[in-house]
Amino acid sequence: MIQLSGWKRWLLAIVVLHGIVACAGFFAPYDPTEQDREHPYLPPMRIHLVDTQGHFHFRPFFYAEQLRVGSFDQFEEHSQQAIPLRFFVTGARYDLLGLLPFRTHLFGAEASRVYLLGSDAYGRDQLSRILYGGQISLLAGMLGAGLTLLIGVLIGATAGYLGGWRDGLLMRVAELFMALPWLYLLFALRAFLPLSVSPVQAFFLIILVIGAVGWARPARLVRGVVLSARERDFVRAARGFGATDSYLLRRHILPETSSVILTQAAILVPQFVLAEMTLSFLGLGVPEPVPSWGSLLASLQQYSVLVSYWWMYLPALAIVPFFLGYLGLASALQQDAGTEKIVRTAGGSRW
Amino acid sequence: MISLLQVQDLHVAYISGAGKVSPALEGVSFDVLPGETLGVLGESGSGKSTLALALVRLLPGNAEIQKGAIQFEGQDLLRARPRALERVRGARIGLVFQEPSLALHPTIRIGKQVSDVLAAHEAASRAARHQKTLQLLREVFPADASRIADSYPHQLSGGQQQRVLIAQAIACGPSLIIADEPTASLDPTTQQEILELFRMLREKFNLSLILITHNPPLLAGLADRVLVLYAGKVVEIGPTEQVLGSPQHPYTHALMQSVPPGLDEPAKDRKSRLRVIPGEAPNLAVLMNGCRFESRCTDRMEQCAEREPPAVAMSEVHAVSCFKYGE
Repeated sequence: MIQLSGWKRWLLAIVVLHGIVACAGFFAPYDPTEQDREHPYLPPMRIHLVDTQGHFHFRPFFYAEQLRVGSFDQFEEHSQQAIPLRFFVTGARYDLLGLLPFRTHLFGAEASRVYLLGSDAYGRDQLSRILYGGQISLLAGMLGAGLTLLIGVLIGATAGYLGGWRDGLLMRVAELFMALPWLYLLFALRAFLPLSVSPVQAFFLIILVIGAVGWARPARLVRGVVLSARERDFVRAARGFGATDSYLLRRHILPETSSVILTQAAILVPQFVLAEMTLSFLGLGVPEPVPSWGSLLASLQQYSVLVSYWWMYLPALAIVPFFLGYLGLASALQQDAGTEKIVRTAGGSRW
Repeated sequence: MISLLQVQDLHVAYISGAGKVSPALEGVSFDVLPGETLGVLGESGSGKSTLALALVRLLPGNAEIQKGAIQFEGQDLLRARPRALERVRGARIGLVFQEPSLALHPTIRIGKQVSDVLAAHEAASRAARHQKTLQLLREVFPADASRIADSYPHQLSGGQQQRVLIAQAIACGPSLIIADEPTASLDPTTQQEILELFRMLREKFNLSLILITHNPPLLAGLADRVLVLYAGKVVEIGPTEQVLGSPQHPYTHALMQSVPPGLDEPAKDRKSRLRVIPGEAPNLAVLMNGCRFESRCTDRMEQCAEREPPAVAMSEVHAVSCFKYGE
């Protein structure tokens, strides 16, 4: 067994969670846009091992669902029709990680569609939509955080390294951005941009919008680190032997900001996933039929859905393990920040 | 002989956030000949570290060089562009700082830190730099250069760290080394070793050396000439034996009186109380007309408080700024 300590354990958990979402095509039994009008708002199906006669089956199975007589949205299990769950079945075509065309899914059934987490108004599989929706939400969060950190580090390092009036100006702008109510700023920015756009355009618009508002906090943190780093004696000593600004930034100053940047990244990703969800929830995100966690939750805006179909809340539950993972990673990184690891390189001279 | 470094009428002041000006160096002039060692002697606050940093234009942001000229190898460093200064620092002028443990990056191996100096100035291949680094480290660590190269700064003693700084300073074959209190944080035995190393390297590479210290005995036997700095002014400059042996300026005289007697002197002399200079160094932010040392001087005269004493040549090589002489 490999012993993992502190933040590495959290990182592993996050990587596994992201791996599942990244390979949504494999873990999801169906295409997220594939409709089944016969089964709208079907509740999550039960998976059985023991049938109505009390016989045990090694292969899990489920019963086909049919509308209850005299009802328009109540389903019941059809006890005569046991459908076995099959693993590694061939089904809808998908591109694994957007590259490799595949048809194999982790599980599925032959005679009927299986809805582990229920279906939505159009009979689309909720599990598939949550998995695919995660791709959009998480990617938007990560790219948004990346963009924010890029802007934040550039501005923070510039302000801290140059100092003087440039520092003052940049930090006043940062304070202005921190004082702005970011949700309404997002609305304003989004309103300013064209409303009807393709899903891909909408996706990148969201990333731009959320990436552009959050840079102030990382910029201030990076500035603080750079400010103290550039005054260190070894930085002055390096200047004394003729080091250039780019050398000092590269070798002495920016490496000191790495722990702040990593911690900020772990805090910002979930924050920006939430921002994407908020925008999509309000209909300003990636349009239908492409799922994202926010647009999946958008159906809850209808009162009838809100009170009748509890499984429509599940996308909100899906974000919980991700957020826990990221926040755990952030605090583990913070604890680790003080203890700088010395990396040994194998073979040859060590420098 | 043409001097290597010529400093003329250098004025440096620190400016506080409120715009208050505190002069740190006023009208400092001296020169350094090729191969010569100049000792700069002064107490804390006399401006000796400011002088070291001003010579290579590394003063902190709140310091301002008000006027003067620093001629080094044919260029005026005060009028040089930042790029040109980067080519002088490290390559032509090597610096050795007083706190070696702080002057080395804590997480980069020694070898890398020395070869980075070479990389800053020479377009040599990695392998060539590697070779040259080991060669440099052998100059300062004859026995175990390659082990030191693989170490991190925290694995070395203070004296070893200072040797690494010296290796960095001589890396690119400079003509001048400025050492600001290079032995201040070291114990007496190590101090002697480091001074011995300076003496050896000076001969071997024909270096000029500016050795800044507050401790007169360190300069004896190492410095060719001594410059005594008091409150930002040069009070006396001349050959080491003359300045330390028969000091002419009342401040230098008082300073030499306050040096503790060596262990080789009779025990009864050591029992007596150490002499100190009464009073304290003046606050330079307050404007003064007369001699800076006037308030503490035992030989003060009427005119001392009224105007500044000019530098008086005692001989061709020895000058003193005091009204006791001249006229």
